[in-house]
This record gives sequence, C-alpha cells and structure tokens, in this order.
Amino acid sequence: MAPPRDFYDVLGVSRTAGQDEIQKAYRKLARTYHPDVNKDPGAEERFKEVSEAYDVLSDPETRKKYDAFGEDFRRVPDDIDPEMYARARAGAGAASGGFRGPGRGGVRYSTGGVGGGGPDIDFESIFGDMFGGRGGSRGWGGPIPGADVEAEIELGVEEAYTGGRRSITITGPDGPRTLEVNIPAGVTDGQRIRLSGQGGRGSAGAGAGDLYLVVRLQPHPRFRVDGRDIYVDLKVAPWEAALGTSVPVDVPGGEAKVKVPPGSSSGRKLRLRGRGMPSPRGKPGDVFVVIRIMVPPSLTDEERRLFEQLAAASTFDPRGGPR
Amino acid sequence: MTSYALVAPARFTLDSFARITGLHPDVVRRLVALGLIEATIAPGGRMWFTPDQVAAVARISRLRSGLSLNYAAIGVVTDLLDRIAQLEAALRARPRRTGGISWI
Repeated sequence: MAPPRDFYDVLGVSRTAGQDEIQKAYRKLARTYHPDVNKDPGAEERFKEVSEAYDVLSDPETRKKYDAFGEDFRRVPDDIDPEMYARARAGAGAASGGFRGPGRGGVRYSTGGVGGGGPDIDFESIFGDMFGGRGGSRGWGGPIPGADVEAEIELGVEEAYTGGRRSITITGPDGPRTLEVNIPAGVTDGQRIRLSGQGGRGSAGAGAGDLYLVVRLQPHPRFRVDGRDIYVDLKVAPWEAALGTSVPVDVPGGEAKVKVPPGSSSGRKLRLRGRGMPSPRGKPGDVFVVIRIMVPPSLTDEERRLFEQLAAASTFDPRGGPR
Repeated sequence: MTSYALVAPARFTLDSFARITGLHPDVVRRLVALGLIEATIAPGGRMWFTPDQVAAVARISRLRSGLSLNYAAIGVVTDLLDRIAQLEAALRARPRRTGGISWI
C-alpha cells in the first residue's frame, strides 16, 4: 500500500488554515470525487482519503494531536506531552535499531537528544495496535454496495475488428491492478464493456459495483470508421480511373481485390459488402473504397505530348453537366 | 401445443427488500413516500420492489453517508445523475467518425 499522505496535502490547505478554509476545501473535493458523481476508477480512493483527512482536521482536538504526533496520532494516549513523545520515540528508535520513522513531510521529530536510557513512556501500549481502523459507513450503518465506475479503453481499428484479449491497468483502492479483458470482435466507438464486480468497493462486506470500459477507437492513418462501416481511400492514376483496373487493397481482416470500373471519378465509392466491422448480432458493416485520382506532379515530355493530344481530341467538359 | 415454464416475477416484498438492502422497513417506506425509490403498491396495500431499486438504494446510501445530503437534495442529485447518464448514453450511441476528415 502507498504510504499515507499528509492530511493537509490531501485537502490542499496550509498547516495554518482556519476551520472555514478546511471545510471549504473538503466540501469542494468531496463533491468532485464522490463515486456517484465521478466515474473515474481512482475517484473512490481519493474520496475516502479526503473524508479521512477532514474527519481528523475538522475536529480541533484531533487536529491538535495530528499536528503534534503526525500519522501516529491515533495511537497516542491523550495525556502524553508531545516533546516527551518525540524524545521517547527517538530513544526507542536508537535502541531497537530502525523504528518506523515519521515517513512523510510535515511533522518531523528530532532524532537527537536523549539516548536509549531515558523514556518513561510504555511504548508497547502506545504502538500496540489499539486502533482497529475506521468503521465502514457513517450515518445509516450497515453495508453499502460500491458504485459503478467507468474507464476509457483505446483500441486500434484492427484490434476492434479482430477482438481478443487485452490486459488493462486501472487504479484501485490497493494501488494499480491489472485485468485481463476479453474484447469482443467488432466493438464500435462508444460501446461499453461491462466487467461485473470490478467497480467501487462496497463497505462492510457489501458487493462491489461494476466497471464499464468505454471503447474509444484510435484514429487510423488509412481507415476511417463510421459506425460499423470502414472507409479507405484508393489512389488511382487518371488512365486507371478512365479505363478501369483491378487493384489489391489492404482492409482489416486481410487483402481485398477491388475492381475499379471504367469511368470512375474521384469520390466514387466501391462497396465491399460485409467486409466492415463484424457484428456480434446482426449484419457486419461494409468497407467503402473511395476513389481518389492522383496526377503525376511533373510530366515527362512523352506524357505531356499524350495529355495534349488527349486534350485536343476530347470533347469531355467536367464542368458542363448539371450542377 | 407450446408449453411455457412458470417463472417467478423478479420482484421483492417490502420485508425481503428491506433485508437485502439492510434498511429498516420503515426507512424503505419513507424512501418510497419521498419518491426516492419506486414501488408498486398492490390494491391490498402491499409494496413490491423491482431488483433495480436495490442499486437505487445503494446510491442513496452512498450519497447520504458520503456527502451528508438530506432527502430533498438526494432527490435532486439522483435526478440530475440519471439525466447525465441518459445524455451520455445518447452521445455514445451517436455514430462517430474516427480517422480524420475525408478529403472529399
């Protein structure tokens, strides 16, 4: 588990902040990270951290203790003098050779001073685990099931087409965890994959919520995806477009032979029926091959002569037809 | 002749609903009266709850314990959260183009 953070850092206030400021910071953070408002998998953990920090700092008594004793404040009896505590702690550390240090910014204890001899505080009773951790829910009591959370998963077009297993890492209460997810073939942008029981944890033994993975398709340099249809550009020479040709085109799931009919202008769409995104139920999408005529950037003398000859002989007027 | 299996309706009585959600039946009645959860009230006055109301109670419990909201505020928050969920679902369902803009 990650080391506990300083409560003032958690709330983003200074150590001299007034009660008003602490309450304001807490209310704002609680609204932002409440697991029913914020679907991020890390929000629940953050919410608990913020609530705990506020529980301690909102009460002047516990705040005083926290300021004096740091993260051990809950284990220290009420009548201990902070200075004596610090000295005793340093002594015990020296004696046992490596007692757990304060471990985080903010409160620091002087490690100099009295050596191993002097402490008259019973360390067993102080550091023995008197504190059993916080109870689950406040208010109503009883177990409360966890909230549903949402995370985005980015998939390439080919990955979405074929489906398969994929491991993802999400932040959770016990740090990041890795899940193996089965991606169904043919997921589309915006679809949600439900992982039941992988969401926010319930309190007091209640069931966890679900984790929803929202699919985002990464932009692909060649494939444009529209729902289940995939568009791909096909570059052809002017004479190929005029006379017709047959070209192999790379599409997801393999190569397809595309017959470009004679007289195809730019923008003509050739449909490859059923070659688009597969559908778990129902018909798969189509692939649309979009013709795009490319002209040589510079002409050889021969090409120029032939084009001039074509220009003189042709009666075709591309701007003449109905607009 | 086709025969059909008998299936028990997926609904809970007040007592079983209270047991599942861990609330006192009076609290459940109060939530119904406040319009925070839905119940079907049979002619005899018995209440029936559908399984999705268990999740609704869980959300109400989380909002109550986490943000110290009162019942009126919980009603507003759950209505708004439901509306946001609807809008987000509609946004997701809208066909979206990926892979840049066509040159045509």
